[in-house]
Amino acid sequence: MALTTAEWRGRGSPRTHQLENSMQRRAFVGGAALAATLAGLGLAPALAQDPIVFGLITPLSPPGETALGQLAKRGAEIGVEYLNEKGGVLGRNVALSVQDSAGKNEQGVAAYRRLVSSEKAVAVFGFIHSGVNIAVNEVAKEMGVPTMGTQTGAGDVTAKHYDIAFRTHAVDGPRAAAWLGWIAKNKWKRVSLLAETTDYGIGLAKETEKQNKEQNLGLEIQTIMFDRTTTDLLPQLLQAKAFKPDAIVNVGVGQPLDLMITQAHTVGLLPGAQMVTSYDGPARPQFWQLHGDQGVGINFIAFYSPKSELSDLGKEFAKRYAAKFNEPPVYAALNGFANAIVFAAAIERAKSTDPKAMIKTLEEGSFIGWSTSPITFPRAEGALWHNWSPPLLVLHYTAKDQTPAAAEVAYILGQ
Amino acid sequence: MIFSSELLVQTLLSGLMVGVLYALMALGITFIYSIVKTINWAMGEFYMIGSYLQFVAVHFLLGPRWWWLAAILSAAGTFLVGAMLEPILIKPMYAQPMQRRDDYATVVTIALLLLLRSLAVALGGPNQYRPESDLPVVWIGPLPQEGARVAAFVCALLALGIFWLVIKKTWVGLALRAAAQNRIAVQTCGVKVDRLDAAAFAIGVALAGFAGALLAPLFMVFPTNGAVTTVKGFEIIVIGGLGSIPGALIGGILLGLVESLGAAFISSPYQNVYGFILVILVLIVKPEGLFGERGREA
Repeated sequence: MALTTAEWRGRGSPRTHQLENSMQRRAFVGGAALAATLAGLGLAPALAQDPIVFGLITPLSPPGETALGQLAKRGAEIGVEYLNEKGGVLGRNVALSVQDSAGKNEQGVAAYRRLVSSEKAVAVFGFIHSGVNIAVNEVAKEMGVPTMGTQTGAGDVTAKHYDIAFRTHAVDGPRAAAWLGWIAKNKWKRVSLLAETTDYGIGLAKETEKQNKEQNLGLEIQTIMFDRTTTDLLPQLLQAKAFKPDAIVNVGVGQPLDLMITQAHTVGLLPGAQMVTSYDGPARPQFWQLHGDQGVGINFIAFYSPKSELSDLGKEFAKRYAAKFNEPPVYAALNGFANAIVFAAAIERAKSTDPKAMIKTLEEGSFIGWSTSPITFPRAEGALWHNWSPPLLVLHYTAKDQTPAAAEVAYILGQ
Repeated sequence: MIFSSELLVQTLLSGLMVGVLYALMALGITFIYSIVKTINWAMGEFYMIGSYLQFVAVHFLLGPRWWWLAAILSAAGTFLVGAMLEPILIKPMYAQPMQRRDDYATVVTIALLLLLRSLAVALGGPNQYRPESDLPVVWIGPLPQEGARVAAFVCALLALGIFWLVIKKTWVGLALRAAAQNRIAVQTCGVKVDRLDAAAFAIGVALAGFAGALLAPLFMVFPTNGAVTTVKGFEIIVIGGLGSIPGALIGGILLGLVESLGAAFISSPYQNVYGFILVILVLIVKPEGLFGERGREA
C-alpha cells in the first residue's frame, strides 16, 4: 500500500493539512512563476539541481561493522527514493551522500566536516559505532547540523545532552536489562561477560554490573575486557571456562563477535553454556556461512523480529526492501529508512532546513517510523535524552540455517 | 583472575600454538628483507590474498576435505602474484641508480597495501567469510583444540622446516644466503641477482599467503585480516632478529606466550601491549634481536 505525502509527514489535524495544501498550492504557483522567469534568464537549472542533502556516515569497510553499515545504507537509500517519489521535501529532491567511517572515529569526524562544510548536508545519520557517533557529536555541537544514531548503543551518544544529538536505538540500560531479564527468567546465577574495550563494550559492562547490584539480582558476574583488534580470544575464554558460567554475554562487534562464538566452541564452553550476543549480529545473512552447526543455540538481542507489528510505513518499506534485495528487512535497514523519513518530516514541519528549527521540531513532535510505536525525542534524563528506543527481544536459533523470522522468541523486555 | 595449574598449562599451549603461526608470517618479512633489503609493508595483504584463495578453493572448488591442497594452491597463487608484482614494483629500485631506496620501497609497498585492500573490498565485499573445516577437535593434554588450529600449527612447523632445509641444503638456498650477505660479490660470481630478488620476494609473500590460508578457518577472511598479523610479524623480527630463521620461530613463540599469559593472568584488555613491552625489553638488552647480528656498514 503506497502512502500519501501527508501520511509520512506524520500526524496533523485536517485543518493543518488544509493549510499546508493551500500553502503548497500558493507556493507551487509562485514557484512556477519564479521558475518561468528564471528560465528566461538561464538560471533555472541551478535551482532545479539543488537538492536537500542528507549525510550517511556508516561503516562500509573494515574494521567497521560493515554488514550493519550496508544494511543502514540500503534502508537510507530506499528512504530517499521513497521521499523523492512522494515529491521530495519542501518541493526539493533529497540526495543522500554516503560516507564510509570504517568504524574509525577520526574518519567519521572528517566525513561529518566534509558533509556539512562542502556538501551542505542538513542532517547526518547512519552511525553504527558508538565511538564514531560520540566523536562526531563533539564536532557537530559546534557546527550545528543534527545527527541521529542509527544503531549506536553507548550512553554518551545522547547522555551529554547536546542539542544536535538524536538517536533511534536502545541505550545501555534497556539492553543490559534485556539480557539480565533473560538470565533471571532462566534462573541462571553465574555469568561471564566478555566485552571489547570500546565506549560500547565498557558502557554495557558497567551497566550490567550496576543493574545487578542495584536490583539485587544476586548474579555472580565475571567481567573480562579485551582489545577489539585481537585475533585470539582463547586466553579470555579459558578464564571464562574456569569460572564455569551458566550464561555468556558476548559484547563483541563484528569480527570479535564471530571469533568468540567459534573459540567458545573450541574450548568447550559452548554448547554447554548459553551465549547471548549484545546486538543482532547473528541476523546477518552470512551468519550461517560463518558458523554452520555452531550457530545453533546462539541467542541474540534483537530490536525487531519479522513477527513484530509494523506501521503502514514500515510495511511499505518491507515490501520495497523485499522486492529490491529478495530478503526480509532487518533492523539496521529499518532504522536507516526511518532516520531519513523522520528528518524529512522534521524539515517539512519546520518548513526550513535551519538546524535550530529542525531540532525544535524533532524535540516537540511525534513521528511515524517503521514501528507502531511513535518516535519521539524528549529532553529526558541521562542517556534517554533525545532517544527513541525500539522494543527489545532475545531471539534464539534452534536449528541450522534458521532465519530471524523463524527464531524462537526467548524473552521480551517488559513482559 | 582465576589461577590454576590446569589453566596455566592450557594458556601455555594456546600461546605456543598461536606463536608458531605468527612466526610463519614473520619469516616471510625477514626473508624478503634479508635478500631484497626491503621492508614489505604490504605483507599482511598477501596474507589476506592467501586467506581469500583458501576460501574460494575450499568453499567453491575442493570442499573442506581437501583443505591441505587448497592451502598449497593458495600459497602457489600468492607466489604467482608476488612473482608478477616484483618486476613492476621492486626491480626498478635496483635497475636504475636510486639514492633513497628505503623511501621508495616504503612508498611503493604502502601504496600496494592500499590497492590490494581496496581490491579485496571491491571484489569480495566488506563481509567476513570462513572456509569450512571438518577437522575434529583435538585434545592436547587438558586443552581441546580446534582441528583447524592443530592442522595449521603442524603445517606451519612443516613449512618452517622445509624452508630451513631449502635455505641450508640447496644451491638456491646458498645463493640466497650469499645475496643476503653481499649482493655485489654474488653478482661478481655470475649469479643473476635480479632473479634471486624475484624468487625471494615471491617466496616471502607465499609464506604469508600460506599463513593466511592456514589461519582462514580460525581468524576468518576479510579485507583487513592481515593488518594485525603484520604488526605481530614486525614485533617478532625485532624480538628474534632481522634475517634470522630461528629468531623468527623463537620470537613468534615468545610473543604468543607473553600475550596469552598476560591476557589470562594479568589483565586481558592489554593483550597487545605485552608484546610491545617484550619488544622494548629486547631492544634495551639486545638491540639487534635475540638471534640477530650487528649490522656493518662500509
